[in-house]
Amino acid sequence: MRRLLQFLNQPSRRGNPFPRWSNAAPAKVLVFLGLSGALLVAAINEYATNEYLNVGYTPDQPVAFDHGFHAGVLGIDCRYCHTNVEKSPHSNVPATGTCWNCHSVVKKDSPALAPVRDSIATGEPIRWVKVHKVPDYVYFPHSVHVSRGISCVECHGRVDQMEVVGQQKSLSMSFCLDCHRHPEKAIRPVDKVTDLAWKAPTPEAQLEQGRKFVHDWKVLPPQSCSGCHR
Amino acid sequence: MSKRVFVHPEPKPGEPAPWRSLEERNKSPEFRTRAEREFLDGASSLDGVDRRGFLRLMGASFGLAGLGLAGCREPRHHTLPYARTPEMTIPGIPTFFATSFPGELAHQPVLVETHGRRPTKLEGNPSHPASGTASSKLAQASVLDLYDPDRATFSIGFDGASLSPARVREELLALGKSLEAVSGAGLAFLARPSASPTRRRLVAALKARFPQVVWVEHTPFDQAAGDRAVAPGSRLLPNFAAARRVLSLDADFLGSGDAQVEATRAYAAARRADTPEQAKAMVRLYVAESLFTLTGAAADHRLPLATAHIPALAAALLDEVRRQSGAPSGAPLPKLEVDPAWVRECAADLVAHRGKSLVVAGAHLPAAAHAIVHALNQELGAYGKTLDLVRTDADRPASLAALAAAKPSTLVILGGNPAFDAPADSGFAAAVASAKRVVRLGLHGPEFDETSALARSKGGLVVAAAHYLESWGDGRALDGTYVPVQPMIAPLYDGLSELEVLALLAGAGKDARDLVRETFDGIARATGKEPTQAAFDAWLAEGVLPGTAFPAEPVPAAADRPVAQPPAVSRASLEVRLVPSAHAGDGAYANNAWLLEQPDPMAKTCWENVVLVSPALAKELAIEPAPMLINELGALNRNINQLVDGKLTCHVVRVTLHGRAVEGPALILPGLARWTVGLQAGLGRRAVGRAGARVSERLNENRIVGAGFDAYPLAAAAAPEGAAGARIELTGRTAVVANTQSHWSMEGRDIIREGNAEEFAKNPRFAARLGLDGHVPLAYPPGTEQRMGPAALALTTPRGNSAYEHPDHGVPPNVPVWRDAGDKTPLPQQWGMSIDLSTCTGCNACVTACQAENNIPVVGRSQVLKGRDMRWIRLDRYFFDGRESAGMDIPENPQVTFQGMACQHCETAPCESVCPANATVHDEEGLNTMAYNRCIGTRYCANNCPYKVRRFNFLDYNDRQIGRLYEGPLGPKGMAEPLKLQKNPDVSVRMRGVMEKCTYCVQRIQEAKIQAKVRAGASDDTKVRDGALQVACQQACPAGAIEFGDISDPASRVSKAKASPRTYGALSYLNTRPRTTFLAKLRNPNPRMPGAALLPLSRAEMAGREGAHPAPAGAKGR
Repeated sequence: MRRLLQFLNQPSRRGNPFPRWSNAAPAKVLVFLGLSGALLVAAINEYATNEYLNVGYTPDQPVAFDHGFHAGVLGIDCRYCHTNVEKSPHSNVPATGTCWNCHSVVKKDSPALAPVRDSIATGEPIRWVKVHKVPDYVYFPHSVHVSRGISCVECHGRVDQMEVVGQQKSLSMSFCLDCHRHPEKAIRPVDKVTDLAWKAPTPEAQLEQGRKFVHDWKVLPPQSCSGCHR
Repeated sequence: MSKRVFVHPEPKPGEPAPWRSLEERNKSPEFRTRAEREFLDGASSLDGVDRRGFLRLMGASFGLAGLGLAGCREPRHHTLPYARTPEMTIPGIPTFFATSFPGELAHQPVLVETHGRRPTKLEGNPSHPASGTASSKLAQASVLDLYDPDRATFSIGFDGASLSPARVREELLALGKSLEAVSGAGLAFLARPSASPTRRRLVAALKARFPQVVWVEHTPFDQAAGDRAVAPGSRLLPNFAAARRVLSLDADFLGSGDAQVEATRAYAAARRADTPEQAKAMVRLYVAESLFTLTGAAADHRLPLATAHIPALAAALLDEVRRQSGAPSGAPLPKLEVDPAWVRECAADLVAHRGKSLVVAGAHLPAAAHAIVHALNQELGAYGKTLDLVRTDADRPASLAALAAAKPSTLVILGGNPAFDAPADSGFAAAVASAKRVVRLGLHGPEFDETSALARSKGGLVVAAAHYLESWGDGRALDGTYVPVQPMIAPLYDGLSELEVLALLAGAGKDARDLVRETFDGIARATGKEPTQAAFDAWLAEGVLPGTAFPAEPVPAAADRPVAQPPAVSRASLEVRLVPSAHAGDGAYANNAWLLEQPDPMAKTCWENVVLVSPALAKELAIEPAPMLINELGALNRNINQLVDGKLTCHVVRVTLHGRAVEGPALILPGLARWTVGLQAGLGRRAVGRAGARVSERLNENRIVGAGFDAYPLAAAAAPEGAAGARIELTGRTAVVANTQSHWSMEGRDIIREGNAEEFAKNPRFAARLGLDGHVPLAYPPGTEQRMGPAALALTTPRGNSAYEHPDHGVPPNVPVWRDAGDKTPLPQQWGMSIDLSTCTGCNACVTACQAENNIPVVGRSQVLKGRDMRWIRLDRYFFDGRESAGMDIPENPQVTFQGMACQHCETAPCESVCPANATVHDEEGLNTMAYNRCIGTRYCANNCPYKVRRFNFLDYNDRQIGRLYEGPLGPKGMAEPLKLQKNPDVSVRMRGVMEKCTYCVQRIQEAKIQAKVRAGASDDTKVRDGALQVACQQACPAGAIEFGDISDPASRVSKAKASPRTYGALSYLNTRPRTTFLAKLRNPNPRMPGAALLPLSRAEMAGREGAHPAPAGAKGR
């Protein structure tokens, strides 16, 4: 045994095959891998999110419909066009006939309205580009939210100030859950739901009346899978 | 240095220029544009992406490539609103329309759920109280036929060219005109029986226009034959709800026919018993039958007897009833091999309940038998109390023999499939041979339908038919109530309905809607109502016209007719019974994958039909399964399940009758009359679409594969539903038969609990004390559960000795406002289900409704053979013979119990704690939920489920075609186009590799909650009201055996059902605390009957096994 140790401990005749820098190499490799991994995780956390990928999505529409003008300047209520938002899970995109209610008279011959005139003449739908989209396995009902004091603005932002509608909120699962856990932060009087400019005077006032609404209306938003996934 | 410019010399005038195409030669503008461009428009871009777009995309891709996020942006989605919205349309909200499901005897009033005008599901129409929200499995499955991808998509003219609908109309009008000139000489119609008054009017119009026309109706299974035997043009309407004693003579009133829903509903009402008083008033059912039907399975006393001997039994019963009533007839009786005590005691029981007893007879029995049953009912005072005779508007149509005798030169075949189902000696072939011109109206074209193919081979006109959900029509419900048939959707393939074809030929000059309106006007006037447009609209909206039931008819006097000595039925001269297959009806549903895959309620086979043989016959044929297991007594047990390598393997037999033979796999079914062979007709089609086609499967070469065999060759014109005198022999081959329940017994567990009515009256809580439940440590101290009440019990979950934890529902939710609210916290509603085994008849309506509602895929025969069927509800069928252990013999006359088994939504669910992905978790309302997107397919949950109710998508059943499941990326993807239209948009379509199971119709629960909250608005009235929510199986159940609702509300219907002393939980000794509970089955035997089981045979088996509950004397097998 002693001889074995002696043999092992004696210096190599050809010298140490490992150069001096190799002493630190494993540590460096580990640090590098660790940093890369951390960077990767951080990058996915930052970029692979609805927040990064979808917020700001503002596609061009076949008709340059200006929500800011119609809803903001003219002050047309959201429900004039999105008629079924209080009854249906879908907030319907209006039929061409809804546009035609006014535009058969107003700016009838405007070149911007050519697709509308075509659609009315042929019966073919206008191909609006979908902006706010949740995945197919999510069942989001508009009716229950607007009937219980959750305003359009909570998910869609100030549409009444947008010339072209774009996505402003992430609409990710955590976005939904934040509100379902703290409904008092968003809930408002039911008659103010489509008043996008409405705000409680102070954040404290919002919390105070929000608590009252949650309590009085027995608001108990679902937080289980079955609430949204069927 | 100047640049040299090369200029092409101008072609000299008159000099021929070479040209490569006509466009170039003609110098068309298109050619000029094309020639001026180096590349064609779009040639350099990727499917419509220009170079800039491509660079932008690629730049983004490279930018994100390192993160593996290339192309994360979702593709552009479009929203296409209507140009002008049709009335009553709210995108996202289904619209329900009233219509009716046409039957040959009666229509079934239904509501159709339509999403964006595409029908997705049928429900019973509650405006018709006789059927309520209930519907039959055929009605439920009929919506799939609308989207059958193999339906005829175009009509074919006499010259073989495809015709537009307008051209078809012209052809038919021209045909009518040419025939009118000869007053219809040589014109004959062959149609199915129908309950449509408008069709009856059109037939009259045809006869007026063509005086010589021959109108013939044919159906392989005539449901009206029995009524005609009593009085032509009348109908017998049994009132099971008022009956206390029912004797069924070979009548499967609970299992088949157009009256099934109404009969089941009424029978179940008389059968339900939750108190000792109700148990004493329960209906008792005696059944004498040759096959084992659902009615036989529900019987308290069942006598297996050859159909040929049933008339003799009826005669003996009549004689006995008369003798006991003090008026013996003394007429000579045919000899009968039945225990005289059975006849004596059964008759005594019927006589003792005079005015409350009822005898029903199968429509296939000879007229003599119906005459005797008519006399029996008169003797028993049934008419006016438990039985009504009403006058219908039906007349007796001519038979196929009349068609052959007419030697038609022009034959119009409307619907049906006579080339497949007409008996060989019926004269149909002769009639077709004589016809020079054939017009055929069929749902399927020549490739997929025998009769259409025959018509084409004669150079006939084949008209694509419209489905009933696409066409206008009308009909009468069983009791005569006038019901509409209205289109839900414009015809998918420009088909014509039967009424339209008849109207064109009759020269009515009106479309089907106007004709129905005319009929409506007439019927409304007859009932004293003004036929206004508003009345018509109200009829369409309501789906029924009240006050239009058939009028009563005076009961004709019973004429005593002597009964001939029945033919001997023995091993050498077997009796054959032809019945409609559970999978295809009489053949009409042979391409309906839901029905094909749905297990036969008794045999549990699917995708094919079998030859049903009795255990005695199996013994004679020596095809009994071999002994294979040694039981605890050291004796050999037979493998009564007929399994080889885990697969049901049957000997192929040849059955010969009338000199014609069919071959099929023989399944030994206990309970059959000894020498009766049951054949399920409707499968084995020679031309059928993709679902019903025979699929060659590599694994099963040299064996019968695919969708069964044709049993119709054994039908004869004189005996269309079978006769005696058949032979059976082995072919020496065997065949693997797909089935979904290969075991017959409960394997020693007490998951079904039964008692007799008498025992229940003495000891109502018998069910809770059976089995191992008594040995389970209590979760609460004794008495606490009663004190807590259902609400508190539902909301708290004591862990007890369960290994599986899950949160209490009574704690404040994760919302700060409610954290300190204490008692004021609104508690979520708690969902639960109760299934009454006492009234369940095993009709499969729930299974079909579940499949339609929840987008459950069909997997195909080869997958069923691997045990991969996907239906969420498993309707288990158990046989009990009262023996402690399975012996050497297959029981001859067992008792049967059905149990619908789906996810039990255990409060301490074993599946949840083993899921590594947290994909299956509880929600706050007590549902065991499945998050499909979280599921990674470990299948741990299914392995840990004691109820075996979880289903795994082994392959992409929704996206791949049956028979091409294994082709991987090379195979075609996507389901057939029309089938997509059937899918329920409120339910996820599951992909490969995820687990699924009963969700308690979570989409309906959520919808009901949303409706309740929308209604509540700025108030606190947010609870879903009892009755506002029905799950699919509950809604469809004709027996009303399923209750569903909020179990935390003691006043809800489900809480009341669960409060019944019969309540028990399956395997609840595992402390799973299932939310679905069962109500123990009550049998109501007559102790004086021979072989009466004083204890249900399942109890006798349990008692023998467990030893703790000694079986009382007499609890032996019958």
